[in-house]
Amino acid sequence: MPSIAIHADALSKSYQHFQVLRDLSFELEAGACYALFGPNGAGKTTLLKILATVHRPSGGRLNIMGRDAVADRAAVRSQLFLIAHGSYLYDELNAVENLRFALGLRGLSPSNRDIKLALDRVGVGAFADLKSRYFSAGMKKRLAIAKALLVRPPLLLMDEAYASLDEKGVALVNQVIREVTRSGTAVFMTTHDRARVADVAQRAGVLRQGALQELPLTALTGSHELF
Amino acid sequence: MSFFSAIGWILWKDLLSELRSRENFSSMLFFALAVILIFSFSFSTDQEAVKAVIAGVIWVAFGFTAIIGLGKSFAVELQNDCLEALQINPIPKGAIYLGKLLANLIFIFSVELLLLPLFVIFFNLDVLEKFPILLVIMIGGTLGLSALGTLFSALTVQIRAREVMLPILLLPMAVPVFIGAVEATRGLLGGEPFSLYRPWIDLLLVFDVIFIVVSFWVIDFVLDD
Repeated sequence: MPSIAIHADALSKSYQHFQVLRDLSFELEAGACYALFGPNGAGKTTLLKILATVHRPSGGRLNIMGRDAVADRAAVRSQLFLIAHGSYLYDELNAVENLRFALGLRGLSPSNRDIKLALDRVGVGAFADLKSRYFSAGMKKRLAIAKALLVRPPLLLMDEAYASLDEKGVALVNQVIREVTRSGTAVFMTTHDRARVADVAQRAGVLRQGALQELPLTALTGSHELF
Repeated sequence: MSFFSAIGWILWKDLLSELRSRENFSSMLFFALAVILIFSFSFSTDQEAVKAVIAGVIWVAFGFTAIIGLGKSFAVELQNDCLEALQINPIPKGAIYLGKLLANLIFIFSVELLLLPLFVIFFNLDVLEKFPILLVIMIGGTLGLSALGTLFSALTVQIRAREVMLPILLLPMAVPVFIGAVEATRGLLGGEPFSLYRPWIDLLLVFDVIFIVVSFWVIDFVLDD
């Protein structure tokens, strides 16, 4: 596994004449967790979706796990997993079927026991046979975390990692981040909750008007405004 | 990740979702029933008129019913951003296309099979001996419509007026399919010798292959950002 999970060099993104991201350069090491802050509309999700190869950057270079994320998208996609705002769940499928489908498309076929363990771990084991249309936003987020646990990608991307989750859910996210980073997975997450992410982040940055500024970790525990 | 395994997963998901919701199936069926009823009242007293137009009536019902189903093929993926998940999955986009195409073919063909007895009853058709060939024509026509419709469903899924755009794009492109299917059906139901209408079946199958190959080739550009 490459030691650098993300290498972004002068990355930019524009929508027509509106420049969302400008000249972002940063690296994220394997096994590290990067927390990205920024006001609403700063471009956090846009950056995350560029890293996830949903969108192409307008300029600059992006390497994920040592591969060009623009030219070699198919290979890069097998190296990452995105927990996004959308749940990526099919309403008519139950929790187990949704997991099987998502994992099946990645060429994975976990045993029933592994699936049960993952669902129990994220606290939705009792709802394994329930259609996901009846899941709350928090339960959907937990199901996405179960997927990530089963996929074990080298790079885990999380958008608003703590959104919709209760206290136990937040603790679960941090526990999972600690666990996966220990095994070498790099985590890049956006959040507004610096107190919670302070427990797990090794790196932090803030997006302001499309530019990325690295933050000292002490900024996460302070009470001053970040932006 | 095996290409065929990805096709299987997409097909499994679409079939299971539809079996449980029956959303698509029931709207297609009710629309087709309405079309059959309207046409049957229009031609109820004139058997000669029925003979002249029945092939067209059948394919009007099949074609527009297919459009209803095809319109939802990729639109269902917008729910919970599932389309985005499919886009960033490490699978060939052609597998998504073929999985969806097979699912559409099964949905539309199932509705057509349910409609066929109604055509027989309402229009007094004799299809028993011709049934195997009729099935070939139905599969050929439905495959062509599904091949094009699945592609255009993917192409229009992200635009606001997709319900309008899909038929606008699909119907002109599907003209060769409709011509082949209608002519072959007309020849079959009119009692013509097989050799006379066989070229229309061949044409239908050739266009099916062309549409599938071209769609498979362009789907990467359609689905990827």
